[in-house]
Amino acid sequence: MSKNDKTMLSDAALDEIFAAGREATPAPSDAVLARILADAEGEIEARAAPVRRPAMAERPGLWARILSGLGGWPAVAGMATATVAGVWLGFASPDQLNELAGGLLLPEASGVTSYDLEDFLPSDGGFSALFEEG
Amino acid sequence: MEMAFDAEAQVSDEALLVAYGNGDRAAAMALTMRLTPRVMGFAARMLGGDRHEAEDVAQEAMLRLWKVAPDWRQGEAKVTTWLYRVTANLCTDRLRKRRGVDIDAIPEPADDRPGAAATMMEEVRARALQEALDALPERQRIAVTLRHLEGRTNPEIAEVLEISVEAVESLTARGKRALAASLGQRREELGYVEE
Repeated sequence: MSKNDKTMLSDAALDEIFAAGREATPAPSDAVLARILADAEGEIEARAAPVRRPAMAERPGLWARILSGLGGWPAVAGMATATVAGVWLGFASPDQLNELAGGLLLPEASGVTSYDLEDFLPSDGGFSALFEEG
Repeated sequence: MEMAFDAEAQVSDEALLVAYGNGDRAAAMALTMRLTPRVMGFAARMLGGDRHEAEDVAQEAMLRLWKVAPDWRQGEAKVTTWLYRVTANLCTDRLRKRRGVDIDAIPEPADDRPGAAATMMEEVRARALQEALDALPERQRIAVTLRHLEGRTNPEIAEVLEISVEAVESLTARGKRALAASLGQRREELGYVEE
């Protein structure tokens, strides 16, 4: 302890050293003052700039919302497959469908369930009439 | 211009900050001139006298002040206290990163400091003080620097460090004792001959 007391600087000496330290405090350069002012200006401008609406931009579009409501792409793909399959069944094999349905769908003779090309074209006199006229 | 500057000298930091938050550029200028030297001096003490790093810290601390300005809640904290706390945290982060770095890679403090001590002995003393401060534990260094070099009050330092005033008194007392002991080893070099 006594050894410490001998080597320790007095309070008065320490105060002088603090004073020397205060004198030697580095001052900010003009460059850093300019950078700080530029930051201040940048913040004013950023605040004044018209606020974009990130909430709207990030909101999903109509189709995206419908999609997600239906369960996303896999669900929609499944639905599309089912739709196509249904159309195809109805188009290609109404006879079989009729049989499966116990004759309820097409009570008429099965002859009406086959198609000719004319069935798909609006014509009075049949498809061949087009060729005759042209 | 000079009159405007004089007039601004009467205005509190907080009033200037609120004015800046409302887009007043003159207020930004006044705050920059008033607060940057303090932040910079404190940061330099904390960072071993490295003025370039201290400038980076000062810029970052001031940027945070600019950002907080529009939401500044009046009467809650002094602007300087808030700024010292931000600066202390920024310095602590840098010192932590430094610990993984080769100590020799850190540049010596530049000699061409404006306001450098006028006489050779004062310069020697200032440098010895910085070296002794560098050896202190961080919280003691913050407390001693704010108290004896920045001239802040103990209650203000307590707010900066978020501790009690008694804890600040204890930190500064221990810090001062450690400085007196380490500088006492160099008393002749510092111009204090043994009685």
